[in-house]
Amino acid sequence: MNHCTSCQKALEGSWLVCTGCGAVQRNAAIDYFQALGQERRFGVNAATLEREFHRLSRRLHPDRFARASAEEQQNSLAATALLNDAWRTLRDPVTRLEYLLKLEGYAVGEEHAGKGKSAERQPPSDLLEEVFELNMQLEELRMSQKMGEAADEAVVKDLAATGVRFESMLQAVDDALAAEGAKWDTGAAEARTGAATQMIQLLDRRRYLRNLVRDVRETLGAAA
Amino acid sequence: MAYSDKVVDHYNNPRNVGALDKSSEEVGTGLVGAPECGDVMRLQIRVNPETQVIEEAKFKTFGCGSAIASSSLATEWVKGKTIAEAMEIKNTDIVKELALPPVKIHCSVLAEDAIRAAIGDWKKKNGVAETEAVAAN
Repeated sequence: MNHCTSCQKALEGSWLVCTGCGAVQRNAAIDYFQALGQERRFGVNAATLEREFHRLSRRLHPDRFARASAEEQQNSLAATALLNDAWRTLRDPVTRLEYLLKLEGYAVGEEHAGKGKSAERQPPSDLLEEVFELNMQLEELRMSQKMGEAADEAVVKDLAATGVRFESMLQAVDDALAAEGAKWDTGAAEARTGAATQMIQLLDRRRYLRNLVRDVRETLGAAA
Repeated sequence: MAYSDKVVDHYNNPRNVGALDKSSEEVGTGLVGAPECGDVMRLQIRVNPETQVIEEAKFKTFGCGSAIASSSLATEWVKGKTIAEAMEIKNTDIVKELALPPVKIHCSVLAEDAIRAAIGDWKKKNGVAETEAVAAN
């Protein structure tokens, strides 16, 4: 529970502004969920989130404070900046997930790279062979592009098929992330730890797949 | 971020790029990757069955300059070493030699993992238990 710095009333909904006296709050410790008046959970209602963002944007907009005190103007600016960061982070399921895990004290992505034991750092071994093969295909195609040769149609076709396969794997990872997120939202403490571990691994897999899909698209785009 | 001269040298003139016959009994293949950056590294060794000396090493890495330099250096270092000696190579040695910055340390870890994976694969193929190889040292 947090209280208004001006009238001491308990804050409801967004912690950026007091529903009692209307004072914009100046508190750098407010997290993105609190800023948007959301519960700290993975599952959010996208429509509610967006509506709340727009409402708060108007409410906190610096233009409304043009004739207010210098302090209030500063508060409005800071709150608007925080609100925008919060919106950008929470609107996307993946960045929201990463953010929440970090809030909960988990090391995510680059942060846990090179730290854990090597077994934990390894990408999914079922993917390694394919990833390596894919990279060979990409290199071959780029090489022929560089030499100004026409791309080998068979290679292009193989690559396109691989790209589609990786995209569906990416979709499967997103589905799995959503499922683990739901477990976190509804589960007890032990279930949460398990879900978090799963999600961190899934995020690694996702990052891997996303890079590959991007490489395939770029290379095929250049070949077209 | 500036790469050290040694990294640039290995990047521009990578040593031992290529492939060895994966199906050969004498060849160990290590395929490792880093999820955070998408790098993949394949390191292969050909081991003399009598002496357990690594006579040939090849690599192919898809990744950043540091990852390529780390694996290039790893192949140079394992060549001429016995299996047991090669197991002693630490990622920190690679970091030192290439003057890798902290954000690129995971590239050296990857190279160490690749060496171990290649050796592990060779051991598995040849039915060498972990303890035996250590005893042979």
